[in-house]
Amino acid sequence: MNIKWTKAPMGRRNFLKSATALGAAAALPMGWGGQAMASTAGTLRVRSYGDMSTMDPAYSNGVFDEEIHASVYNKLIQYKPGSEWGWQLDAASMIEQTDPTHIKFALRDDIGFTNGHGAMSAEDVKFSFERIIADETESPNKPDMGPLSHVEVTGEREGTIVLNEPFAPLWSIALPYIAGNIVSKAATEAAGGRIGTDPVAESGPYLRASWSPKEKTVLSRNPDWKGEAPAWDNIEILPIDDENTAEIAFEAGELDFTRVSLGSVERYRAGVPNGGKLVENPSLFYVWLGMNLDHPKLQNLKLRQAIQHAIDVPSILEAAYFGAVAPSTGIIAPGLAGHRAEGQIAPAADFAKAAQLLAESGETNVTLTLDVLNKTTFTTTAQIIQATLASIGITVEINVLESGAFWDSGNNENLQLILNRFSMTPDPTYATAWFTSEQAGIWNWERFRNAEFDKLHADAARETDIEKRAEMYARAQDLMEESGAYRFITHEATPIVHSAGVTPGLRPDGLTLLRYFGKS
Amino acid sequence: MFIYIVKRFALAALVLIVAVTAMFLMIRAVPGDPVSIMLGPRATPELKASLIAQMALDQPIWKQLLIYYGDLLQGDLGVDVFSGRSVADIVFQQLPYTIEMISLSVLWSATLGIALGAYAAAHPNTIIDRVAAALSVSLVAAPAFVVALLALLIFAVKLQWFPAIGAGEGFWGRLNHLVLPSFAIGLSWVGYIARLVRASMLEVMGENHIRTARAFGISERRIVMSYALRIAILPVVTVIGVGMGFLLSSAVFTEIVFARPGLGKLVIDSITTRNYPIVMGAVLVSTGLFVVSTALADLINAILDPRARSAD
Repeated sequence: MNIKWTKAPMGRRNFLKSATALGAAAALPMGWGGQAMASTAGTLRVRSYGDMSTMDPAYSNGVFDEEIHASVYNKLIQYKPGSEWGWQLDAASMIEQTDPTHIKFALRDDIGFTNGHGAMSAEDVKFSFERIIADETESPNKPDMGPLSHVEVTGEREGTIVLNEPFAPLWSIALPYIAGNIVSKAATEAAGGRIGTDPVAESGPYLRASWSPKEKTVLSRNPDWKGEAPAWDNIEILPIDDENTAEIAFEAGELDFTRVSLGSVERYRAGVPNGGKLVENPSLFYVWLGMNLDHPKLQNLKLRQAIQHAIDVPSILEAAYFGAVAPSTGIIAPGLAGHRAEGQIAPAADFAKAAQLLAESGETNVTLTLDVLNKTTFTTTAQIIQATLASIGITVEINVLESGAFWDSGNNENLQLILNRFSMTPDPTYATAWFTSEQAGIWNWERFRNAEFDKLHADAARETDIEKRAEMYARAQDLMEESGAYRFITHEATPIVHSAGVTPGLRPDGLTLLRYFGKS
Repeated sequence: MFIYIVKRFALAALVLIVAVTAMFLMIRAVPGDPVSIMLGPRATPELKASLIAQMALDQPIWKQLLIYYGDLLQGDLGVDVFSGRSVADIVFQQLPYTIEMISLSVLWSATLGIALGAYAAAHPNTIIDRVAAALSVSLVAAPAFVVALLALLIFAVKLQWFPAIGAGEGFWGRLNHLVLPSFAIGLSWVGYIARLVRASMLEVMGENHIRTARAFGISERRIVMSYALRIAILPVVTVIGVGMGFLLSSAVFTEIVFARPGLGKLVIDSITTRNYPIVMGAVLVSTGLFVVSTALADLINAILDPRARSAD
């Protein structure tokens, strides 16, 4: 056991120092005489797109919560920062797949929970993972754990994860992401089985010092953390929806790190204020135009193929994405197993071929609706699609929808064309999951039904040979394209800017791994 | 006066009931399955069913409304679907940010607007009056979101005099963070109030009691400050009361542009995520704020001008 608990005593001298500093800070009107720049006094200020909603990984709402959870909790393994997807040990000192359904692990002996909840044990791992899959927990993150059966505890800090069947995404989604966070069994049970918006016991390099809803979350160093010390004393996470506001705040020196809009990339390429840097990361998002295969107007394969060939992706990327992103070849982004180097249809439109396919289809006076989300990028994309389809004689009426109505489109049987964008976790199974026959009318809005695709999706999740998996997912995307229901557009990008004194710790898709942020 | 107060607040309560009922029905008429939106794509059917039951969405609308009012009468605004926190806690945590921003906007814009209007009225048809008129109209025409962005670029980015985002901590910190948002919201009000006060003042300055005061040799300054302005200010009080609705709506984009916490941002976020309990709680409180401020403006008017009481 290598845990020594620090009580962080506040002696008279320390008290006087702190009180003096606080008093001075309170008495000094900020602003006049210059704003305090970000990244001073060991505080890193980063922008998040939304506010946290819970400290319970079982009920995590995604990226906003995970940014914080990944800093204050530990997982057996964490994503490795850098440009290639991979993982590294975190709370585990050893982890090994002994057979396709058994993964042995041993925990480090120097990780403990705050608030007197003791050292992290294999029982905590068992509790954390099994509560995610328990029906009574009603966790929306249950699918991340896939076919997890249970966790066998074989020692105080040793155990075995047992799966009902092989599950490749265990290493790319389940363990290093939301569901993999390990919480204290004792603390969670004492809290009634559910953690609210305040942490009950933390174990990571940072502790959540405070949370002001809609304003900021403050993380501070965990004095009991025995791993590699994080570079920053404090991290302030500011929820800012608006990209322009975040850019202004960055330029005003009030943020050290933010994602920027694609429209600003060109400007930042010419120079980032205050000596900062622009980093252009790829993204896992995928954007495509879908066609509802159940709609009477879209029954003709030649018509669908004509639409596929008439859409000019480079024009869309230039106008709607300011030339800052690359075309996509499918739903699986570069860097993940199953990414296709080339799609079956080239990004540039082939109007002659499109016109020929339309003529072969025998369809005349085609008028279709195109539903889009009310964001400038999508409405611009829709207008370009409208213009290019008009050039081969297809009339498109654009329906601009507010987000709530748009995301309910699965229930809209009259849907014809739809411009869509889904997010991703770094495993291809997360992409294909939404296009199975089972998902038709739920998230598969094209109502694409293909038995081979369904089988590939199911088998690929169980396949542990990376090359075989890649082939299966590539074939799955071929099937999508061959159906004529999809025209893949882009995976977008995640451009970020950071100030001169910061070395960002990022996943390959540009999302933050706050505990790995360094100083330069 | 007592009957007048009772009448005003009874009317305010009625307005509140109508507004909350209308909002309750409208949010449910908006397209989009709230449960799918709230729980995201990976929610199981069991989880969706559980949330539907928890939110009583499986009940007819009239029954949902009855349940809502039943809970409301017991002081229960419900629970946030995502965090499980009390809606009252969430709303009242955000409310002070919006109130302080609106109050400061009203304070500075009314002070400057009244001064500008009174000065222009005291010097009619002079160059100062004409400059004040041009300035007032220009300010009225300035859209608040444009002012907000320009103020950010000039005073936060270029000059770095004021912070660009957030609400700040401590008295000075919060005040400092309020400068630009309240400037953005209040600027058009300066012009509006100045025009209103000038017109009202000119009307009052032509009345008999002012001529009598002049005949008695009372100084022009005292006539303006003590006799004319007191009456001329009445429409301003009414306008500020009614203008609370406008200011609350301005707060929405201001809170977004300045990344400030507050009621407006809370409502927008909650509507987008179809978080019904929060939307209803926030609308109830903001409508309450509006009707109370309108009623208070009427009361102040009634105190300043007894004719307002008898006319009602």
